[in-house]
Amino acid sequence: MGDISVKVGSVNLKSPLILASGTCNFGRELAEFYDLSILGGISSKGLTIKPRAGNPGVRVAECDSGMLNSVGLQNPGVEYFIENDLDFMKNSGAAVIVNVAGHSYEDYIDMVKTLDPHKDKIDALEINLSCPNVKEGCMTIGSDPQAIKYITSELRKLTDLPLWIKLTPNVTDIKATALAAQAGGADAVVLINTLMGMRIDIRTRRPVLTNNTGGYSGPAVKPVAIRMVAECSQVLDIPIVGCGGIADYKDVLEFMIAGASAVEIGTACLVHPALPVDITADLEKYCSDNDLLLKDLTGTLQRW
Amino acid sequence: MAQKKEYRIKLVSIEFLNGDTCYLGFDCPEIAGSAIPGQFVNISAGTVFLKRPFGIASVDKEKGFFYVGVKVVGKGTSEISQFKEGMEVDCLGPLGNGFDFEGFDNIILTGGGTGVFPINFAYETLTAAGKNVTVCEGFRNASQVILNKPSYILTTDSGDTGIKGTVIAGLDTIAIDDPSKTLICCVGPIPMMKAVSAWASEKNMKCLVSMEQRMACGVGICLCCTVKVKDEGPDGFKNVRCCKDGPVFDSREVVW
Repeated sequence: MGDISVKVGSVNLKSPLILASGTCNFGRELAEFYDLSILGGISSKGLTIKPRAGNPGVRVAECDSGMLNSVGLQNPGVEYFIENDLDFMKNSGAAVIVNVAGHSYEDYIDMVKTLDPHKDKIDALEINLSCPNVKEGCMTIGSDPQAIKYITSELRKLTDLPLWIKLTPNVTDIKATALAAQAGGADAVVLINTLMGMRIDIRTRRPVLTNNTGGYSGPAVKPVAIRMVAECSQVLDIPIVGCGGIADYKDVLEFMIAGASAVEIGTACLVHPALPVDITADLEKYCSDNDLLLKDLTGTLQRW
Repeated sequence: MAQKKEYRIKLVSIEFLNGDTCYLGFDCPEIAGSAIPGQFVNISAGTVFLKRPFGIASVDKEKGFFYVGVKVVGKGTSEISQFKEGMEVDCLGPLGNGFDFEGFDNIILTGGGTGVFPINFAYETLTAAGKNVTVCEGFRNASQVILNKPSYILTTDSGDTGIKGTVIAGLDTIAIDDPSKTLICCVGPIPMMKAVSAWASEKNMKCLVSMEQRMACGVGICLCCTVKVKDEGPDGFKNVRCCKDGPVFDSREVVW
């Protein structure tokens, strides 16, 4: 079978497939379907200093080829996570990516200070500067290059753990925000979080989501993500983790050719939980059939 | 550890029970053999992106078939209602926690709308086990009545058949000897479950309800289908997952 191992900076992954934050909880439920050790990594549910109940009411609205969600970062809080879930993730055999969210600079700083003492169990911190479903923080910081550079450089001082900055596509120029993360000392950027959207019930004239808006994910957003990865790949020196609409092995190849060193898969697993098993086998076969190393595919895009 | 599976299953029967509700049978010995009442399956629905959750309505363990009822409410359920016998669909199941009848001599099953499907599975399971079961079902009017049996207490809002009123009017006709040994299980619209919960609480009876919420994954990973339950923390409540922590809850835990 072909070699599908990849590297994201200093992080070695046995496969490019990482379960995307918010689509796998902490991995436990998916371990009922398949052996998680086949994965490159698992990115935890977005965590905050204090537990969050998330948004009330309807949190999902189906769309063409995807869905809107407005979960609103429901999570048990970072202390509970460290106590109850971190060991499970560590023992899964996949790299442990901890997704860090917040509402202010202080929140992110407190989070990294809380997580750093557990660095022997963590492979990278994914700094979520892009959740569209909380009222303050996250996306507000994530759409301002200066704020991104500032918070990244502050976090850089606090930990040696790789810092992956997860960026929002809801900006005019993704290169500017990605370069800001790099300038702040990020080890990688993760592109993209969800696209902000809305659906309306024409009978009641109300938004389907009780939060009014939500984040659009699924195969429909893939071309947007690919474009952003390709754009950033031209200007960045740090690696890119591609994310957005991956549903089969060809999607993985497309992201890697565009410039991604690894990828995250999420929404498609909500429909087919064991999908990574098939994609892993298909990637291995592709590499073997074509006699190549998967990692050599990164950034091989031939532009017109 | 890895044991849950997504199945590719064949539709073996489909029939309409009334104008907008159909009843589908699928060939899947694994689900038919292991499902308990209150559990559900997540079925791929034609061209729409997400699977659709349906409470299991019956199983035939000998044939390896299970059945679900589907009310047409949108694009996904409309496409399912046009499925043809012999076609194959993707299915996850059985999912969620079912009803726990343990420790009760008498069981009252009550429900309405598509809630009558899981009620049917519970009735079949309990009668096969020789339990003392009373069923009370409510519908809008006679044309909506489905899966009804002569032994059931029937209520309709219109009164054109059965007792006029909600299921509460029907439940009031049941003589309850020992509330501590009687369990009531309710599957229906939220206002109905809330009313039944209050009715049971007044009589000091344990009441289990099967909650419904818009779902995405059905397996507990997306946190989209939340149910508000009581909690001792500062908020006084917490959001839990309908699909994985439920769909069956003790009605006293639910924040209505």
